[in-house]
Amino acid sequence: MRSRRGALADLGQSVLRWFAGWSRILHLGALLLVLALSPSSYTRANRAAMAQHIVLGTAPILLWYTLLSSLLGLVLIRIVVVTAASYGLSRFALQMVVRVLVLELIPLTAAIFVALRVGLPDGRELARMRQRGELDALRQRGLDPLRHEVLPRVLAGAFAVLMLAAVAGVVTLVLAYLTVHGFTLGGLGRYTRTVGQVFSPAVTLIFTIKTFLFALAVSLIPVASALFDLPRGRVRTSAELQALVRLFLVMLLIEAASLVGNYY
Amino acid sequence: MNEQPPAPPPVANLEFKAALLLLLLVLLLAGSVLYVMYARGVFEATQRLVLVADDSEGVTVGMDMTFSGFPIGRVRRIELAEDGVAHIVIDVPKKDARWLRESSVFTLVRGLVGNVAIRAYSGILADPPLPDGAVRRVLVGDATAEIPQLVAATRELVRNLTALSGADSALTATLGNVQATTERLKGRHGALGVLLGNDDDAKKLIAALDRTNALLARVDGLAARVDGVVARADAQVFGPEGVMPETRAAIVQLNATLADARKTLQQADRLLVEAQAVAANARVASADLGTLRAEVEASLRKVEHLVNEINRKWPFARDTELKLR
Repeated sequence: MRSRRGALADLGQSVLRWFAGWSRILHLGALLLVLALSPSSYTRANRAAMAQHIVLGTAPILLWYTLLSSLLGLVLIRIVVVTAASYGLSRFALQMVVRVLVLELIPLTAAIFVALRVGLPDGRELARMRQRGELDALRQRGLDPLRHEVLPRVLAGAFAVLMLAAVAGVVTLVLAYLTVHGFTLGGLGRYTRTVGQVFSPAVTLIFTIKTFLFALAVSLIPVASALFDLPRGRVRTSAELQALVRLFLVMLLIEAASLVGNYY
Repeated sequence: MNEQPPAPPPVANLEFKAALLLLLLVLLLAGSVLYVMYARGVFEATQRLVLVADDSEGVTVGMDMTFSGFPIGRVRRIELAEDGVAHIVIDVPKKDARWLRESSVFTLVRGLVGNVAIRAYSGILADPPLPDGAVRRVLVGDATAEIPQLVAATRELVRNLTALSGADSALTATLGNVQATTERLKGRHGALGVLLGNDDDAKKLIAALDRTNALLARVDGLAARVDGVVARADAQVFGPEGVMPETRAAIVQLNATLADARKTLQQADRLLVEAQAVAANARVASADLGTLRAEVEASLRKVEHLVNEINRKWPFARDTELKLR
């Protein structure tokens, strides 16, 4: 009897801890949003830190990601176009390519790429700084670590996601055109019309919101996991891996919501 | 865990590179937004066309209206009108509107797999152009709607065919009769038996034919005799002793008689001329008689005048009355 009551209490405690963890992340996100929107965050020193994080975060991965996504996109475009032509449905191939690649796959892969190459290393760095007490040292010197260390990293991570998605999206649109029509400008009018049909106002709105939410989740969740001793429960995974799981859960939810919005 | 992380190497022109990246992102986003707006026809001057359809199923906002396979318009809105029909509002760019004329026809075609296409046809491109906000009825061609009717018609056809080819059907009976007829055609009396129905009548007909033949032979003999009669008549009429030479002699005599008669008539003419001369003399004589009468009248008037003179000059007589004693 006691053991059963103990199990119930444990369950209740873990649920509470779960909620507490998410509320801390949301609270941190709100704080950072306010800081990002206040002009006082953009002092000269802060701007330099932001520039450093943006350049170091985005520039090295931009070329690689563009190359990889182009390769994957080319293969997928080819498969879709050839398959559609074999069923006599080539009219719909271009729409499907644009929908699958530009609307769905590219934001998702860009977010995952940035999470692994920027978000998680940033989180680890912040966690080390916290463990060594550097953040407390900043606080004692009268500087807000949130403003001077966390905000530049979060903004740089969000920027990286948007940048990668934008570049890869444009490159994929060009590749799709070249694959379907070849090196000629003759099909531009029809292609533009197809793109226009795909990007209806509702779809464009959902696409934009989804990409921004991806950027926010990728830059915020690893950092938040590093800043707080998030509840570990009885799981044996490391804090970093747990942050990654959390991040993927959130991305899955965002993607599912966007799909529901687009196709229901 | 306590080792110092390697400090990142300082980046040259950091701020410039960051600004460049930001600029690139802004340019990409702005370009994408402008391109999508252009692709959706935001910058095109359009005119409106309203297609009225009983059923707008399958029509989606943003789908194209094509003309000769080229997209020339977009469905902007689909609405249900007060009278319960669907109004499909289509934006046609001004530069493409020249393909639409007053006489243009619009069709809404549903394919077998449910895909829908709106097409425009302009037969006479010289007609006046379609005005802005025109409302047109759309012709619906639905391939799937025909299928139930087609199936029903086919079923009817198959039923009729089954009834036709059944063992007790009229067609089978007719075919049987045809077979019996051909059997009789091959029989002793052939087509005659088929036409008359039984062998007795056929026999009668053949007997009648035989008798007709005999009759014809007799008619032949009769005709030969008639020929002989005609030859004799010919000899009597036109022969040397026939009627015709004598008739010719009679006509000659008649001519001579006619000449005599002509001579007699000429003598009569001469007599008449003399008679006319006598009559002329008589007319002159009667004219002299008129003169004579005038002279007598004049003498009488002189006598009367004389008497009147005597009466006036007679002094004793008071009365003017002349008494002849």
